[in-house]
Amino acid sequence: MNLLAPAALALGAFAVPLIVLYMLRSRRQRVEVSSVLLWERADQSVTSAVPWQRLEITPLLLLQLLILALLVFALARPFFSQESLLGPHTVLVLDTSGSMAAAGRFDLAADRAVSLASDTSDANLVSVVSAGPTARVVASFLRTPDAVRDAIASLAVTGGPADLDGAVRLGRSLATPDRPTNLVILSDGSSSPLATEPVVDADHIRFSDTADNISISGFSVEPSAEGVVRVFVNVTNHTGVPADVQLRYLVNGLPSGSIELEVGALSDAARTVPIDAGAGDLVVVERVGESDGLAMDDTASLVVAGGADRGVAITGDGSPFLEVLVEIAPGFVTSTPEAADVLIVDGGPMPEIDRPTWLIRPETPPPGIEFSEIATNLGATFQAPGEPILDSVDLSGLVVAEAQVAETFSWLPIVRSGDVPLVLLGEVDGHRVVYFTFDVARSNLPVQIGFPIMGTRVLEWLGGASAGSTETAVAGTPIQVSPPAGANTVIRRDGEIVAELGDPVLAFDDTGAPGVYSVEYVTDTGAIAGPTAVRSFDRNESIAGSRDISVVSPRPATASTGSIVREWAPSVIAVVIAVMLFEWWYAHRRSGVRSIEVAS
Amino acid sequence: MLLDPELRARLDRLSMMTHGRVRSVYTGRHASRHLGESLDFADYREYVPGDDFRKIDHQLWARLGQVLVRRFEAEEDLTVTVMLDATASMGMYGKFDSARRIAAIISYLALSSGDRVAPVLIGGSDRSIVRGPIGRHRSVWPQIERWLEGLEPRGAAPLAPVIRGVVGPTAGRGAVVVISDLLDAEWERALDGAALGVGGVIAHVLAPEELEPTMIGDLRLVDVETGATVEASTSSSVLDEYAAAVQRFVDGVALRSKRGGLDHVVVPVGPDDAERFLRRLVESAAVT
Repeated sequence: MNLLAPAALALGAFAVPLIVLYMLRSRRQRVEVSSVLLWERADQSVTSAVPWQRLEITPLLLLQLLILALLVFALARPFFSQESLLGPHTVLVLDTSGSMAAAGRFDLAADRAVSLASDTSDANLVSVVSAGPTARVVASFLRTPDAVRDAIASLAVTGGPADLDGAVRLGRSLATPDRPTNLVILSDGSSSPLATEPVVDADHIRFSDTADNISISGFSVEPSAEGVVRVFVNVTNHTGVPADVQLRYLVNGLPSGSIELEVGALSDAARTVPIDAGAGDLVVVERVGESDGLAMDDTASLVVAGGADRGVAITGDGSPFLEVLVEIAPGFVTSTPEAADVLIVDGGPMPEIDRPTWLIRPETPPPGIEFSEIATNLGATFQAPGEPILDSVDLSGLVVAEAQVAETFSWLPIVRSGDVPLVLLGEVDGHRVVYFTFDVARSNLPVQIGFPIMGTRVLEWLGGASAGSTETAVAGTPIQVSPPAGANTVIRRDGEIVAELGDPVLAFDDTGAPGVYSVEYVTDTGAIAGPTAVRSFDRNESIAGSRDISVVSPRPATASTGSIVREWAPSVIAVVIAVMLFEWWYAHRRSGVRSIEVAS
Repeated sequence: MLLDPELRARLDRLSMMTHGRVRSVYTGRHASRHLGESLDFADYREYVPGDDFRKIDHQLWARLGQVLVRRFEAEEDLTVTVMLDATASMGMYGKFDSARRIAAIISYLALSSGDRVAPVLIGGSDRSIVRGPIGRHRSVWPQIERWLEGLEPRGAAPLAPVIRGVVGPTAGRGAVVVISDLLDAEWERALDGAALGVGGVIAHVLAPEELEPTMIGDLRLVDVETGATVEASTSSSVLDEYAAAVQRFVDGVALRSKRGGLDHVVVPVGPDDAERFLRRLVESAAVT
């Protein structure tokens, strides 16, 4: 314990005059009484002529000396230092990704954040940033623990990935010149390194609790040529032991059937099941049995698509796999190149891009891309997390014989083999283009279990959603809305209204919770049905891995930010008040002895 | 007016009792030390010439062969000496007003009982003793009331010699009522003097401020009668010591009074103090 104002101890010298006052003969007040007969024993007359008397140590003197000592002690401002992660301005980055729902990680993180916030004060400001699918500032420059607690209580875990990079950027943007700002990242860690890693002036509190988890990692609809709706379900066993998984299907809330899958340890199992459902029906699959460590991925939803089919034409070398893909892709039919809505160019010269096009290893690169060389024998090492086209698709086993080494700044690589892009997304003359740098026929892509899903997603991304069709994406993906002029937009999730937007908006991004979102535009003349979208739990989050984020802590550089100064003075003042009250009571108390018995 | 008509009406229905036998030259309602003409048989003695023949007990003469005459108790009146302390100490805290009302009650009570009342003032003037109007009829009451109303407490007078001086010459001839705070160094001798009568009452008038002082601070206490001083700081321990001294004083007065055949009644100054005093007298059978 140290003193902030040790000079105040000199005030202890006031004890001397206090004691002297007790030694001085007081000037007594003259009071007439009926008789001094009964007061004679209390006589304190001093016959000596000296103005002082022998010091008598009374309880009152001791109490007053104690009060003086405590007051001097309080004025000296005693304090002790307590280690804390809080600095002058601390940004709490709270991970709300799906993996944080595993084993109560999010609850632990929220509790830890609240505990840290107990030191919040005017000297230690706190901001809260949510690191969900979309990073956002929840509250900034809070000065009280209660305010921080309320901000944290408003957060909920989502079904999407964590945009930790965005959250760190947002946290940095809150820095002010007058206050050093440090970050405390409460997260299980991103699956891949952050762009800003190591994160400077930051601490990472890692949450790595684990629990057994079996997830529904894929769920899509595959209408057959016969018009029978089939749903594809993929189950992943993240535990180390095989499991029998029972699934139940619900169509519009009513039981429609169940299946049982045997899923090996750390393996997937898939099944395609015919469902008695039609266009627009809500189909839900849920795992039956004991709950596991991550309940959010035990359920998946979709809405059967409907509407007019879009034509797809294949030019170039062509491939039977692509032809089958077009046949089975719901909402797409084979068409002539002239009438096609989507063009698949399999090899050959680079065509003129006048519609959405899927380029497969063209002889010349599309605009915005340059070839440098051909790379051979490549395996996929990266697929962009959260990318809708790759949702529920695992390309970790993809191997290609050779691929064009494309260099670009304007196209987005979503699958890479090291630095070599394998799949890129771009836009040419206002038309969407998917560019495969490898020949599908000279790869094992067609035999990958996720190929039909990925191919269908590519066609849907290129062809766009047709009227009444359902968009499925990872939780957190915004929903595009286009309300008529003067209309309010009502958003429902699983039937419950979650938002009513009065101002014109183009997207609704509060979609972190998995489920079916239906959009409705309310006008003066009535309600108009808008798009229906499904937001699913991110399969990557089901893995619930954790890792340490590389950080550079602020404490070694500025040691003072690592501790909180706690003063004793308020407690000491409280004790002083208590002792003063006791002293007053002691000086004026009336003991029971003084109740004179007058009856005789 | 010291006594309102309602109180006087109540007092008319009451009478004073004494613990001893009264000696007096007047015939009255109280048992006398003289044997006389009442109906209460007292004793036998041998006949001597000159005795009333009617008092010879003929049955005993026939049975014992001895001439004996019956003796009867005489009924004589009671002189109630009301000694009111009017020294300066009684002038504090309203004690004298209470004492004056108590003196009025006793005096009226005695008059209404047919007893002789002799009020005496202790202090209150340049002399130690001042006697008030004496009488044995209710017709004297207005004079006594006026006399009481005209009194003012002042000066100092030693209690013991004054009481002995008044009671001693007429010892055994009447009841003594002392109304005082008894704050006198020789209060024990004063009570012994009062005990020379045939019973009586000690009305011990004390103020709440004397029983439980509220004075605070470092004080020089000055005796209003003697001018003696005591320096005291009203700390908790000092007040405790004072309370113990008061308790010893009150207990001592009560014990001394009992030994002398006197009723001791503490009268704390306050509303209805005289009424409470009268109630205590009735409870102790000093008044019936």
